[in-house]
Amino acid sequence: MRKLGSFWRHYHLGRWLLLVLLIFLFLLPVVQIIAPERKLVSNSLLFSFTQLFMLITLANNWNLTGGFTGYVDFGHAVFFGLGAYGTGVMMAKIGWSFVPALITGAIIAALFALLIGSATLRLKGPYFSIAMLGTFVAMREIVRIVKPITGGGTGLTLPPYLNRPLFYYVTLIMAIVVVAFAWWLIRRTEFGSTLIAIREDEIGAETRGINTTLHKITIFMIGAVLTGIVGGLWAYQNTFIDPDIVFFESRTVEMVMMVMLGGLGTVAGPVIGATVLYWLRDILWANLLQFHLIAQGLILILIVLFLPEGIVGSFDDSGTSLGRLWGRTFGSPNPEKQTAEEAEVSA
Amino acid sequence: MDQFTQALINGIMLGGFYAVMVLGFSIIWGVMGVINLAHGEFVMVGAYLTWYIHKQFGWEPFATILVVLVIMFGAGYILQRILINRIIERPYLISLLVTFGLAIIISNSFKLIFTATPRTVDTMFSGFWRFGNVTVPITRSLIMAAALIIMTLLYLFLHYTKLGKSIRAAAQNREAARIVGIEIGSVYALTFAIAIALTGAAGTLISPIQPVYPFMGSALTLKAFAITALAGLGSIPGALFGGIFLGLIEVLIATFVPGVGTNLGIVSSYIILVIVLVVRPQGLFGGVQAAREVH
Repeated sequence: MRKLGSFWRHYHLGRWLLLVLLIFLFLLPVVQIIAPERKLVSNSLLFSFTQLFMLITLANNWNLTGGFTGYVDFGHAVFFGLGAYGTGVMMAKIGWSFVPALITGAIIAALFALLIGSATLRLKGPYFSIAMLGTFVAMREIVRIVKPITGGGTGLTLPPYLNRPLFYYVTLIMAIVVVAFAWWLIRRTEFGSTLIAIREDEIGAETRGINTTLHKITIFMIGAVLTGIVGGLWAYQNTFIDPDIVFFESRTVEMVMMVMLGGLGTVAGPVIGATVLYWLRDILWANLLQFHLIAQGLILILIVLFLPEGIVGSFDDSGTSLGRLWGRTFGSPNPEKQTAEEAEVSA
Repeated sequence: MDQFTQALINGIMLGGFYAVMVLGFSIIWGVMGVINLAHGEFVMVGAYLTWYIHKQFGWEPFATILVVLVIMFGAGYILQRILINRIIERPYLISLLVTFGLAIIISNSFKLIFTATPRTVDTMFSGFWRFGNVTVPITRSLIMAAALIIMTLLYLFLHYTKLGKSIRAAAQNREAARIVGIEIGSVYALTFAIAIALTGAAGTLISPIQPVYPFMGSALTLKAFAITALAGLGSIPGALFGGIFLGLIEVLIATFVPGVGTNLGIVSSYIILVIVLVVRPQGLFGGVQAAREVH
């Protein structure tokens, strides 16, 4: 095993594998464009990949705040919904074309992130998580109530545009860009290191003169914009939005699940987690349609109980075990100790 | 003026239900440090039990409360032993995710078994009492009375029985409770069972005045969290105060803001939550750690 590992590292096999995979993914729709009559690559296959790329992007965006700063967001899908509705309203009600509508959707998501983030990001621990969950649930009702703009419960129909290869490429490039961005941010910038510092020891970071709130809000907004863009793309591709499918409950928990499954706070984790979860969900849908949500809940519980470090974390033996970070990130398991520490700080 | 008085009465009565509903949530959080995101689902289960017994055996809905208490107590005990016990004293994210998974499982199982059709329960205590232009619905008064009885009994239980005192001791200081010989594992199991039984009873109380359907839970969980943030953990008078406050706000908004209907209920509780958290980020009563005490 160890020999294989050193061989792997010496020849940078991981990079070559990644390159081959990317070339394969880029060439896949070409087969269909060149020879559509051969039916080697069906539209539904491209559609599945488009969904997967969106999930990877969403997981990655969630990981920016949830994984790197340790602020576990249970309502990140609210930005997905705002992006979808921003795009949808602009296209269906005002008649804009897709790109300016998408930009509007992203801006709405960013502004809302600024507004809600500057309030909720000052909260600690479960208060932040549940305040965001509340944001998500409340936004669904607000969208339902503001009927003249959003169409209420009946939803909005967008002008259909069914070019699967185009959506495929857009989402593929988006997924690559956001993952590369996360890697660059964490490995190469001071901003990224600051985020990790906030996760590890927020009070310590503050003491060193870091404006933690500013950093948290910035990364929160970046995540919101990227998720808003995914929402807009999704709305356009789906051609129909209503409060229940856009603010679908499992959409928000799926993001957490994907990142947890892959490995919280790692760059590769969201990609692996999203891929595995998508594959798993497909199997569940195909075989247990009636029970697939129940099975999803069960999987969530099993992941959390038995694989808390995620797939990447479980294979990572380079010394920085996520398990130890885990304890510090989400509070000491001993609340009495925590009280003492907090009392000390406030005194 | 009459309309306002009427809204006040309705709001206070709704608050009685909220107070009972929130007790289980805040006890589990206060004693075990577990934030139960499946809380609303347990209310839903209680409501379905009432509906089922009412439909199959023709029982009066308010009488089913005894059966619901027993069944939910057993279910809570078993659930604590096999699942919740694994997440006590672990980071809060774990308890949030596990109970969220539990919520998905429970609500979707009930949808499979009973379909998503909203069910209604008819009580024989319908009708109104009239005082001038103000009417007092008898059903809601009974709910309020039941809520006050449950809260009084719980208060007496926590303060004057050995088990109740052990629960409060475990909430205040886990280690010290262990040292003085409290069997902490069984105290946790019983606490969870009692809290779930209370939550199920809240489901019984709500069933005559609201349709019962599998996905009614998530809104209730959020309201429970809002009230707990407002009122502090595990405090019975706090729960009553917070519940009535939320009930009043909801009813007043539904009465005096035209065209919003009941959907705004959840939005208003959410806005209250955010305002409370922003004004007092540590919670109104000092947040989790300072309020880890069951009064």
